[in-house]
Amino acid sequence: MASGLYMLSRGALTSGIHCQRACRNLLLPQVRGKKRWMKAYTFLMAKKLKLEGPPPPKPRSQQPHFDYHAEVQAFSTRLHENFSLELLKAAFINPCYVRVEQERRTALGVDSEVTALVLKDNTELSKKGAEFTKDFLTDWCRASFPSLPSEGLASIVGHLTGPEVVTHVARNLGVEDLTMSAEFPVPDDVLQSTFMAVIGALQESSGAETAGFFLRDFLVAQLIGKDLFDMWTVVNPMGLLVEELTKRNIALPEPRLIRSAGASTVLPLYFVGLYSDKKLLAQGPGETIAAAEEEAARVALRKLFGYTENRTPSDFSPPQQQHQQPRIQSVSSN
Amino acid sequence: MTSRGTPSRFLKSVLQNGVGRYVCQLKRVSIIFSKNAQSSLGIRDFIEEGVVDYAKKNPGTVVYVSPQPRRIPKIVAEYLNGNVREEIVTNKTSAQISELLTKLSNQSGLDIIRIRKPQHTDSPSIQGQWHPFVNRPPSIGLIRPLKD
Repeated sequence: MASGLYMLSRGALTSGIHCQRACRNLLLPQVRGKKRWMKAYTFLMAKKLKLEGPPPPKPRSQQPHFDYHAEVQAFSTRLHENFSLELLKAAFINPCYVRVEQERRTALGVDSEVTALVLKDNTELSKKGAEFTKDFLTDWCRASFPSLPSEGLASIVGHLTGPEVVTHVARNLGVEDLTMSAEFPVPDDVLQSTFMAVIGALQESSGAETAGFFLRDFLVAQLIGKDLFDMWTVVNPMGLLVEELTKRNIALPEPRLIRSAGASTVLPLYFVGLYSDKKLLAQGPGETIAAAEEEAARVALRKLFGYTENRTPSDFSPPQQQHQQPRIQSVSSN
Repeated sequence: MTSRGTPSRFLKSVLQNGVGRYVCQLKRVSIIFSKNAQSSLGIRDFIEEGVVDYAKKNPGTVVYVSPQPRRIPKIVAEYLNGNVREEIVTNKTSAQISELLTKLSNQSGLDIIRIRKPQHTDSPSIQGQWHPFVNRPPSIGLIRPLKD
């Protein structure tokens, strides 16, 4: 025991002497052994993290391994589109970025005449893209659901061009990395206008038809699995049904309780059928009779507008195959 | 741990990929290696032989090759949905690395966790969901609890 202590103290002494000597000669003494400062340092860093919170997120363009030109080119080929790269790059530049960059340069004291910031922002492209998107989607919806009234069409188009769907699509297509914006994370409205500008750039570089297919593949595909009345808020479906039926000269609906179960329990169930001219239009379930009637009216409306869950899926085939399809059908029918 | 306790999801794709057109979900690959370490031998071979072919074959993926001194060799794959996967390739041969890169570029970038069912549909029933009243003539009367 005593010898062990002696050894320890001797070791400490010698190392101390060695350290002193090293300090005299070198600026950075390196002592091998247990790093006793490490624990305190780790604690300090953990405490700092707890007090200050995690550091603010950094845009991908400021992190290592980012070549803007290559990224933009890859973006274009990844989507199987022929963007003109100049237009595509212009589409990613937002007016807020240009403004902030200008301010930053003046703050740094850079002469604005010597190094002028020649950047064209995407305001025009965005406006053009948004217009084109709205027109195309309206046409597409009118062709796919011919019996849907204009309010319904407007709400579907509004849903597809709304910030929720557009930012979801833009984030999952990697637009956020390339967007030049003043703030990070990119705000939803900036991302939305950038995506519209990308569509505008596509329309300018390869024509309206290609841009239409782009919209069909990426925006319209978001309609899959979506219910009509999730997008279109109808407060009084029965009133709308009556209106639609009078327009088509069909006899007015007559609600009848057709089935019920467990009326005295906490989980009652009623089925209301809507009859028009003694024919069953639709039936719907509900916990109360009024709710069942409303549901039945919604089912009837879906059937009238051709937006049932079991409708024929929309055509998403690539552009070359669309013209060939009738021939294949005629072969199979023979 | 039982499989119920593990995280799980349903089978899905990013943005209904493949409904309209197929988009390769791998947007960026960074190959990080050391110039003289033994463990980076395979990846150095791969960089000499295969990386240019890979980049030519996948123009939608940006490939960054970065030598960093005394680094564990790894492949950092970034996907369109924002997920990042790091694969350590210490002591792997060139062929193994090429296989790994092909696998990474075929993946969707969604979390690799247990998938509850091998199939999924957005419209579960074509004919309509079954309920106790289906195919039951109204003349039978109400559905009520069984009498003892």
